[in-house]
Parts: sequence; C-alpha cells; structure tokens
Amino acid sequence: MEVLLAIASGVLYAAGIYLMLRRRLAQLIIGLSLLSNGTNLLIFTAGGLTRAQPPVVPDGADRLMPPYADPVPQALVLTAIVIGFGLLAFSLVLAHRVHATIGSDDVDEIGRGR
Amino acid sequence: MRALVLPILVPLTTAAILLLAPKRPLLQRWVALTGSILLLGSTLMLFRRVEGEGIQVLQVSGWPAPFGITIVADLLAAMLVVMVGVVGVAVTAAAFAGVDPRRESFGYHPLIQILLMGVSGAFLTGDLFNLYVWFEVMLVASFVLMALHRTSAQVEAAFKYVTINLIASSIFLTALGLLYGVAGTLNMADLARLWPTTRTPGVDMVLAVLFVIAFSIKAGLFPLFFWLPASYHTPPAAIGAVFAGLLTKVGVYALMRVFTLLFQGAAPALFTLLLVMSVATMVIGLVAALNERDFRRILSFNLVAHIGYTTASLSLLTPAALAGSIFYVLHHIVVIANLFLVSGVLLRLRRTTDMIGLGGMYRTQPVFSVLAMVPIFSLAGVPPLSGFLGKLAILEGVFDAGAYWVGGMVLVVGLLTLLSMGRTWTDAFWRPAETAVDMTTPGTPLLIAISGLSLVTLAITFGAGPLFELTSRAAHQLLQREEYVRAVLRGLP
Amino acid sequence: MIALSILSPFAVALLAPWLVRRFRRSEQILAAWPAILAVVLVTELRSTLNAGSRHIELPWAPSLGLSLSFNLDGLGLLFALLITAIGALVVLYASRYLEDHPQAGRFYAALFAFMGAMLGVALSDNILTLFVFWELTGFTSFLLIGFEHEREDARSAALQALIVTGAGGLALLAAGVLLVDVSGTTSLSAMTASRDSIVTNPFYGAIATLVLLAAFTKSAQVPFHFWLPNAMAAPTPVSAYLHSATMVKAGVYLVARMTPILGATNLWATAVTAAGAVTMLLGAYRSVQETDLKRILAYSTVSALGVLTMLLGVGTREATVAALVYLVAHACYKGALFLVAGAIDHETGTRDVTVLAGLGRAMPVTAFAGSAAALSMAGVPLTLGFVGKDGAYEALLHGQGWSAWLLALMVLASILLGLAGLVAGVVPFRGTPSAEEVRDPVWPLWMPPLTLALCGIGAGVVPWILSAPLSAAAAAILNAPVDLSLAVWHGPSPAVMLSVLTLLGVGAAYGGRDIVRRRTWRPGRGTELLYTGSLSALNAISRVIAPPLHSASLRSYVMVIVVTSIVMVGAALITVPGLPTSAPDMNVRPHEVLIVVVIIAGAIAATLAKSTMAAVLSLGVVGYGVATTFLIFGAPDLAMTQFSVETLTVIIYVLVFRHFRKLGGLSPRLVRYRDAFIALGIGTLIGGLVLSVSTTETAPRLREYFAEFGPTLGHGRNIVNVILVDFRAFDTMGEITVLATAAIGVRALLRLALPGTIGSESVEVPTSPIFRTAARLLMPLLLLFAVFLLLRGHNEPGGGFVGGLVAAAAFALYAIAFGVARARQALLVKPMTLLGAGLLIALASDVPAVLRGQPFMTAQWTFGVVTAGTPMVFDIGVFLVVSGVALMMIFSLGEES
Repeated sequence: MEVLLAIASGVLYAAGIYLMLRRRLAQLIIGLSLLSNGTNLLIFTAGGLTRAQPPVVPDGADRLMPPYADPVPQALVLTAIVIGFGLLAFSLVLAHRVHATIGSDDVDEIGRGR
Repeated sequence: MRALVLPILVPLTTAAILLLAPKRPLLQRWVALTGSILLLGSTLMLFRRVEGEGIQVLQVSGWPAPFGITIVADLLAAMLVVMVGVVGVAVTAAAFAGVDPRRESFGYHPLIQILLMGVSGAFLTGDLFNLYVWFEVMLVASFVLMALHRTSAQVEAAFKYVTINLIASSIFLTALGLLYGVAGTLNMADLARLWPTTRTPGVDMVLAVLFVIAFSIKAGLFPLFFWLPASYHTPPAAIGAVFAGLLTKVGVYALMRVFTLLFQGAAPALFTLLLVMSVATMVIGLVAALNERDFRRILSFNLVAHIGYTTASLSLLTPAALAGSIFYVLHHIVVIANLFLVSGVLLRLRRTTDMIGLGGMYRTQPVFSVLAMVPIFSLAGVPPLSGFLGKLAILEGVFDAGAYWVGGMVLVVGLLTLLSMGRTWTDAFWRPAETAVDMTTPGTPLLIAISGLSLVTLAITFGAGPLFELTSRAAHQLLQREEYVRAVLRGLP
Repeated sequence: MIALSILSPFAVALLAPWLVRRFRRSEQILAAWPAILAVVLVTELRSTLNAGSRHIELPWAPSLGLSLSFNLDGLGLLFALLITAIGALVVLYASRYLEDHPQAGRFYAALFAFMGAMLGVALSDNILTLFVFWELTGFTSFLLIGFEHEREDARSAALQALIVTGAGGLALLAAGVLLVDVSGTTSLSAMTASRDSIVTNPFYGAIATLVLLAAFTKSAQVPFHFWLPNAMAAPTPVSAYLHSATMVKAGVYLVARMTPILGATNLWATAVTAAGAVTMLLGAYRSVQETDLKRILAYSTVSALGVLTMLLGVGTREATVAALVYLVAHACYKGALFLVAGAIDHETGTRDVTVLAGLGRAMPVTAFAGSAAALSMAGVPLTLGFVGKDGAYEALLHGQGWSAWLLALMVLASILLGLAGLVAGVVPFRGTPSAEEVRDPVWPLWMPPLTLALCGIGAGVVPWILSAPLSAAAAAILNAPVDLSLAVWHGPSPAVMLSVLTLLGVGAAYGGRDIVRRRTWRPGRGTELLYTGSLSALNAISRVIAPPLHSASLRSYVMVIVVTSIVMVGAALITVPGLPTSAPDMNVRPHEVLIVVVIIAGAIAATLAKSTMAAVLSLGVVGYGVATTFLIFGAPDLAMTQFSVETLTVIIYVLVFRHFRKLGGLSPRLVRYRDAFIALGIGTLIGGLVLSVSTTETAPRLREYFAEFGPTLGHGRNIVNVILVDFRAFDTMGEITVLATAAIGVRALLRLALPGTIGSESVEVPTSPIFRTAARLLMPLLLLFAVFLLLRGHNEPGGGFVGGLVAAAAFALYAIAFGVARARQALLVKPMTLLGAGLLIALASDVPAVLRGQPFMTAQWTFGVVTAGTPMVFDIGVFLVVSGVALMMIFSLGEES
C-alpha cells in the first residue's frame, strides 16, 4: 500500500511543480495547491501507514492497543492543512491583486518594470 | 524558568491589544513602542540568566521532552533574541516619524509584533516542527506587510516574495515529514542523540540537503537567493529594516543549529556544499551590487553577500570560525537594520532612493550625514567599527581552520564592499544634487532610531573583547552538544 | 598617561566641530594641542635615548588579539614628532586658509582624527591595532581629499585613494593575522626576537608580499603611485600634511618597522630596492613635466618616497641612516613648499607656473621660505637636504652589486628633483610681477612654511643635533645599536663630487626648464589603468549578472530552486548511497487502488485543464481523494478537516477565479516538455524517498507515549486531538496566529482593492424558495453539529478545527441562500471579533498554569460530573479563530463592493 501512496505523492509533486512553471497566474496558484496536498500526503505516508484503527481509544478501554495509526503524523498534517489553507487563501487574493494591478495574468509580466 | 516564554508572549499580547485597540495612529505607535521595550527588557533578562546560569529550558504544557515541545535558550539563542528586542525598539520608534495611513489602519503595528514573535519563537524553540510553525508565523506576517502596498512595484515584489517562500516552506515540510518517518521524533536534542548512529547514511544526507536548501532560501544563499534582491528594495524602510535585520538571520540561525546539533558527523561533502554556496554568494552578491543605482538595491545585495560571510565561516565548524560567524551575525543585524532606516530618511527627504534623486546631503543635512556614516562605513569594514571587528573575527577563525583561500575571498569581498559603500557615500551624500531638493525634515524619530542603532554599533566596538568572549563561549557550547542535550532531555534514556 | 596623550587627538576631533562653531579663532587654539604633544614627545624621546624604549598597554579586545599597546622607541617617536609638530603648523595654517568655511568643523574633526590615527600607526606595538590605525588614516584621508565634495575630481580622487590604500590595508590585515599565527604573538617588538623562525616559515613569502603590498600602496610606489597626484584635489593644508609629510610616509615607516622582522632576505631586498628605484626615477621625471604647482610637488613626493624605499631596501647602516636624514629633510622642505604653493594660490588664485611670476616683491616672506626650501630640495650645502643626499650617495658608493646603477639613477633623479624644487619655490617669485594686487598673506599662512624651511636650513648648519634621535631610530630598524655623528663636512670624497655634479645638473636644467617641460615624452595614463581598468571590468561584469538576479521572471527563480534541489538531492544520493528499502507491503485493496487512481487522474486533469473551472474541479477531486485516503488509513479527524478545507478552498477558488478564465497556451511546446521532464524528476525523487522512508519502521517511542498517557494524563481518548490541544499545543497556538494573520491579510488586500474588481460581479442569490427554506433549516443544524464536533473532539473524532470549519460552512450556506449581508446580520458579531476573542481565549487558557507555578500551557483539570480542563477551553479558542477566519474570507470574497 505504501507504493500506491508514494506514487500518488510523487505525481502530486510533479503536477504541482509543472504547474508552477507555467505562465498563467492561475496555474501557479493551482500548482501551489497541488504541492501542498502532495506534501500532506507525504507526511502522512512517511510516518508509516496502517489500515488499522484510528488513534482513538475505544470507550471503556484506558489505552490504545496496537496496531493503531500513528497519531503524530496526523497531528502534523492537520496543522499543515490548516496553515496551508490560510496561506493559500492569502496567495489567491494576492494573485488577484497582482492581476488587477498589472492587467495581465502572465507570470512573466510580474516585476518587469513599467 | 518562566521568563523563557516571555519573548514570545509579550509581542503576542501587544499584537492582540493593538488589534483590539482603536485605530488611532498615535495610540497604536505608543502601545507598539511600549510592547517593544518590554520585549527588549524580557530578552535582556533572559540573556542574563543564560549567561550566568547556563542553558535555560522550559517544557511547554508540562510534558517532558521529547514528547512535548521544549523552549531552549542557549547563549546563541539568547543573544539573538536580544537583537530581536533591539531591532524591535528601533523600528517601532522609527514609526513615530510617520507610517502610511492605509498601512497603519490595516494592522501595520500588530503585524510587526507578530513578526517579532515569530522570530523569537524560531530562535527559542527546541522542536523542529515547532520551528516550522514559527517560520510560518513570521512569514505570513511578512507576507501581509509586503502586501500592504501602495505602488504596483510593491505588490509585484510581494508576489515573488510570497511564492518563493511558500516553496521554501514546502521543502522544509517535506524534509520534516521524511524526518519523522525515519527518526520518530522531532525534538532537536533527541535528534542530536539519534542522528549519526542508527539511521542509514543515505537518507541522512538527503534530509540534510533538504534542510540546507530550505534554510538557504530563507537565508539568501546562492543559487537560491534571487527573491531577496527582487523584493527587499520595495517595502517601506522600517519594514525593510526588520526583514533585512531579522528574517534572513533566522535562516542563518537554523543552519547554525542543524549543522552544530545534527550534522557534525555528516559527510564532508555537506560542509563543502555550504562553503561553496557561501563563497559564491559573497562574490556574486557584491559584484552585482556595484551596478546598482538604487540605495536599497545596493543594500539588498550587500546584505546577501555578507550573509555569505557568516555561513562560509559556519561551514568550517571550528570554534574560532563559528565564534567569528556569530559575532558577524550580531554586528550585521544592527548595521543592516540601521542602513534600511537610513534609507527611510532618504525616502522622506527625496521621495526616492535612486541616486538620481539623491546627492548633496552632506551639505544640507550635516547631522544626518555624520550619523549615516556609522552604519555605512561599519558595513564597509572601516575600523574600529563593528564591521571590521566582525571581519577580523571571521578572518582569524578562517585562517585558524586553515582555509586560507576563504580568508582571501573574505578580504576581496571586503574591498569590494569598501568600494560599494564608498561609491554609495560619494554619490548619495557628497555629489551635489542635480535638481532634487530636500522635501521635508529627516524625521527626528528616525534619527533617534538611527542614533540608537549606531550607539549599539559603537558599543560593539568598545565592548569587542567581552562580546567576542561571549561568542566564543556560544560557539563552544554549540559544538559540544552535551550541555544542550542534557539540559533538554534531563537524563532520559 | 602617555597612552591617553597619544589618543587625545581623537577626543579633540570629537570636540572640534562644536568648538569651531562656538568660538572664533578657536582653530588657532586647537593648533596648540599638537604643539604641546610634540613637546611631550620630545621629552619622551630624550628619556628613550637614555633608558631605552618604553612599552605601554591599554586593553581593548584581547580575545581578538587587539590591544592598544604602544612601543615608544626611536623610530616611532621620530615619526610621532614629525606628525605632531608639522600637525600644529598645519592646523595653524588651515585656520586662515579655510577661514569661515561652513564645514570647517568637520574638517578639523577629520584632521585631528587623522593625526590620532597616524600617531597610532607610528607608535603601535600590536600589529592588528596598527592595521586599525592604518585603515583609519586611509579613511580620514578619504574624508579630507573629498572635502570639496561638490567637485567631481575631488570625489573620484578620494574614492581612488580609499580603494587603492584600502586594498593595501586589507593585505596588511591578512599579513598581520598570518604573522600572529606564525610568531605566536601580536607584539611587534616581540616578533623581532623571533625573526629567524619567521623568515624560515613557509608563510614568509606570503607575509612579506602582503606587507610590501600595503607599504607600496600607501607610499605610492610604482605601480600604485597614481593616486597621489590625483589626491591633490584636497585642500592644500591636507596635501601638505597627509600627502607629503605624514600619511604617505606610513608605508616607508612600515617597511622600516618590518625590516628587523622580515628584512634582510633576497625577496625583501630585491622587491623593496627595485620598487624604490623605479618610483624614484618615474616620479622625478614626471614632476618636471607638470605645470600645476601641487602636481609638481606631488610627483616629486612620489620620487622622494621612492628614494626612501630604495635606501631602506639597500639596508646597510649607512643607507638606513641616510634614509632617516632624507626623511626629515623632505618633511621640512616639502611641507614648506606645499604651504607656499597654498599661500600663492590663496593670494593669486592660480597655481600655474607658466603664469605665475614676479611675486617676490609682493610676498617677500613667502618668497624667502620658498627659496630656502627649494635650496634644501636641490641639496645645496648647509641645508639638511644636502646632508641627506650626501649620506645617500655615500651609502650607495659603499654598496655592492646594483648600487652603482642605483647611484647613477639617484643622481639623475636628484637633478630633476632639484629642478622641480626651484620651479616650485623660486620661479614664481622671480621676474616681473603682473599687474594684480598681491600681498603677503596673514601670518598663519607664512609662518608655518617659514618655520619648516628654516628648520631645514638650521639642521643643515648644525646637523649633529639630530644625531641622537636618528641613532635611536636607526637602531630600532637595524636591531643593533647605532652611534651616529652627522656633520656638515666629511672631508673631500667622491660623494661630494657627485653632489657638485648634481648641483651643476640642476643649474643646467634650470636654464632649459621650459624645454624640459615641453619636449619630454609623457607616458600617458600609465598604471592608473590598473585601477580604472579593474573598475570598468567589475562594472561590466556587474551589469551582466545583476539584472537577472532581480528582474528575471518569477518562473526562472522557481526553476532554479527546483533544478538546484534535484541536483543537490541527486548528488546526495550518489555521494552517500544507501536508501533503506524494506520490501513494501504489496497487499493492496481494490478501493485503495481506486482512490489513488482518482487522485492521480485529478492531478493530471488539473495539469491539462484549459479552463480555470475545470482545473478547480480537478483540484477538488484531488482534495477529496486525499481526504478519502486519510479515512481509509485510520485518520478520521484528518479526513473531516480535509473535506471541510477542500470545500472551502474550492469555494474561494471559484469566487476569485471568476477573473481568470483561460489556462495554458502561453509557453511553447519545447518549454513544456522541458518543464514536464523536470517535474517528473522531482516526482520520481519524492516518490522514491517516500517509499523508502515509509517502509522503514518508525521508532514507536512517541506514539506509544501518547497512546498511553493521552487517555490517562491527557484525559482524552482522541489522541490526535490531545496532541493538538495538549501535548503539542504550542504548535497549535502558532498555527492559529498564522491563520489570524492570513485573515488580516486577506481582508486588507480586499479592502485595498480598487472598486470594481473582486466582488463586483456579485454571486447570484438563488431565489428559489425551496433552497432558502432548506438553508434555513440546515443552518442551525450545521451549527449544532459544529458545536457537537467541538465538544466531543477530545474523546472522539472532531475538535476545534473541524467544528470551526463546519460552523463557517453553516453561515456560508446561509450567505449563498440569502446574501452576505443577511448572513453577516445572522452572525451578530464581526468575524474579526470572533478571531480576536478566540485568540484571547486560547491565550487565557494557558495562564492558569503559570499562576500555579507550572510551565506555561500546562493543562489544568477539574473533575466532577464532567471532566473539564484548560485544553478544552483552548479548543474553544481554536474553534472561534477558525470559524472567524473562514467567515472573514467567505464574506469578504462574496461581498458586493
């Protein structure tokens, strides 16, 4: 099962990087999004995959019995998802401002002193 | 040791108060200044504790390391946090000279406080993922500060800045994810114990390289530094001062921390990599500076080149070289922040920092000119100012490590810096202004801030002895990791 | 005490601007200080002659090797005397020369700072501190040359001097650090003792070369001599003081000071002698071609420095003594001539010798001074100049090897120099006066040159008064006692013949001086091309590399980062091979394959999409696919959060991307293939790394601890949530700060927007009543659900993050149905208030720990009917922040402007 997710992460990174190298502003942002998803998947996968129960102690028990999914990468990914969301929203709005300011959605036009 | 968390809490509280307080400029500035002074006070207090009693540790939420997050202050971190306080005071004081009203109403002051908080947090944390979080805090604050633009150049530069830094964060996060998968822990002291022994060297090296890339982007090393000269010259001077003075240094600090704590046993190729990148940064940065006609662009390139000094010295990883590196970082924070404030005065006087609009200020603004001499020529390395002392410290360390050609590059780049700053001085201050005239006063708060930072530079000059001893102690503390690991882990098996 | 006196000029420098502004005529009082210092130094010298040199030390930064240690020996004191005595005269002179200049205060500050620095150079015993003073003289010289800063030539000359001497200075620094390493001490006097080990050390060559580089740049030896004539753009007092009497002699001083440590080797002797000889000749040759008084004197100074260097290179006792005599003589006559030139300039407004004539009648005192100095320069008997020249001839006559050639060159040079002296000091005063009104200047302008000239004559008549101090100086250089007796007449000797020959030559040259000036070949720009050429080259390189560094496209930067990463990671894998690979678990379930296929398909679709809507939809597919993956592999909290975030993201994308319609179509095909190739590279690397790392067993320490103590000490059964709000709550605190800041940013950017951009096309409000009714029903349900998630989060999947997102979704739904305005009303408070309240609550929950003496953020619990604790309060804070942030974004984006 790791193979599948490893491939998926790789594809997401590749797609994200490819889009970030494109000339349309929108594609750059989408690329960032894909990259972010890929990273989250990477953290989740690298920590070790289990199909087993989530790390929630069942009612009545007082501790988790293995095998259980590692809660640490989950906490990390959750943090990353939320931070990523905030940053993505911001970048999106910023991209829109840039678009409105320079009147073009061509990335190569950014910073080309006018 | 409760004071340890104050450098993070104080700016956060200040920010919260500022967000809730009415948006009247004068009120905001006073609250911000008070908060910054309190921050400086808390950092000085922390420094005294660390200097006197040794490494200070706090396990946040009461959980022992490596299960909870640890805040750690060793000598290096304590000194750097003091610098955060110093720059914070200077910048919030300078704000009294006037801030763009739209920026101020959209949260300029709380954003600066949040940025300071992020930097302090980054310096003080003992957990690598927590470092990522503080990086993001400081980055997002800087994003918003950059994005509060007035000109189109500013918003475009902001976009470049944001994009590149988001990529850097992704690389950092990637490395963190892989690291946990390999080591099962994120606490730095814990990693220090685990790293060289049980893991396979291949992954170690890849992770090390990923961290180096991520931190080098932040620090501004070749070939990953393009975003800096592309963006640092656009925001208003005080923001530039904080960015140049503090943000890049977090990258350098991160490199120092991982290299001394984790990578000491790594393959020599890693150190060579850092060395080559650093030397390339030094040379390319300064040669590029020579072509620039805008004061802030010149500063940006000089900033980058001198970062190269510190990381080149770091890569040699001997006590003397590392001491020189730390000394230079401390000097550089003060001087470059000061220079950006100087650019702020130039902006007030002439509405531009392009040489075309400058000139003649030696005659029209004698006080300002003499004040500006201190940071300009300190950067150039004119003795006995701090720049020379830093260079001497690095030179001694580098020669001591046997890296003579690196020392030669240090001197050559030093000469080029002299040329760059000499030319800047003659063009901006001595040359008669063609048509430009001073449009207003330099702004007393700005001058006060510049004087304050210049005084710190002079203090470094006269206190070079004790300061260098401190940096030597810090270097030794970094290279012998036992004290740090013991303080954090308290005897965990 | 003495140390303070040596450093006192710096104090005067700091006070000077204020003094000059406050008190008239204060400059003349300022001149008194160096005069006093000179007297003090004479006393010192006398005691040194009796008791030997004195060491003083003030600490500065011993850990760096810097200390203010001074060694008052003959050589140093001799220089110090020159510096202070001539300094006093120059300050006096400047008081009238620069009368009422608005920047006079800064002038004196720089001048006194220079004086202090020069004293430091002469007397310093610590080689690193000597560098400090050395560079300071260069820097103050920069300030002084550029004093008339509004003139282009002054500025460029100042910069040129700064860079050329600065380069030498840095060489000195390198040499100094190396010397300290090699000899184990920073003290120059101590190094003299370990000379033998230094000279045989492998670094000797480098050290000697670097030291000589420093000396030659400072003392204007060929090929570094070009800056000195250009430095004549400085005001004349500066030229007289720095660029003839003191600063330029610093290089000579350095050679002298280093002779006992580095000298007497082939390398040293050859380099020093050769440089000196060439400089001597070149300088003399050029000096007679100039028409500007100061440039004549500048080139002759270059030549004189060459003489001194050459003699020190020869290095015999006689040569060393001769050099010292020549040095003192030169200081007197050259200083006088410069000051005379300044006086002439001050009175007549010109320095052109072809124009000046007949001033003798109008300026008799000045004329006398000039002539006396010229005589000394020509080497007429009964002047100190004669004694020096005579001594030099003697020394060269008694030398071996090349000495004969050097002698010939020196005679030739002396003839030319004598001519130059006459042209500068005599010619302007002879002949018929022009019609203009000229008078002798005020006494501060004629007294100093007169004093200097008379010293030159006086010491020439009774040279034995110099015997003792020069002996001491020579002894320091030669590291052996020297007993000297100078006399006017040594008896007939070949040297005397040569002196006579020289004088005859001068006479002849004088007669044909115009021809000499006009008809001799001029070398052109010469070695100055070294400087200008390097600068041009640097500028050219800079012009090429700078623009791409800051103006290139963003994509290039991304490309560089990506390619660099691939290269470095690839290199890492190659240099240190060994990725762990356990056999991956190939047991896959069909639904897992399906989900991964969906993710991959979505990613590819997003890449190839031609319209933004298609891309956004694909992105949504990817996001939901990832969420499902989380669900499959035991991460329900993650799955819920990812679902919510993805939904919100898609909504935001839709709102913003209304303005970006098309995708793709801008890059040529080859570029796209190249980028795809690179992207695939990254993808492969990542895939491989993930596979490798995920198949290795991660140490279970952390998760076991959390699994055990989460339920017990953390009082929560949802371990992930316990980690987020308790174990690693510090992370979460930073995280909500990031969220809050991002929200502030979004709001600010949208408000900053010009009217008519985002939001101008309003989101249509569906008017379907069914929809509205449904929304009215769903919203409270969703809210309830959100609170439910929050409350149960500590023990079951849920928590503040998901709860907050769901709550925001509730209002988003309402906004879609009824419009943003109504939704805002329904919310009752501003999103910003939610944000602020959330932050404060989160902060507040951490305080009780501190009040009870525990580390910050430690959870506090109460147990009763319900188990409650601060982490849950913290979670409430998170809930509020997340909902506030999400609502802020939704409302702002959806709003009509």
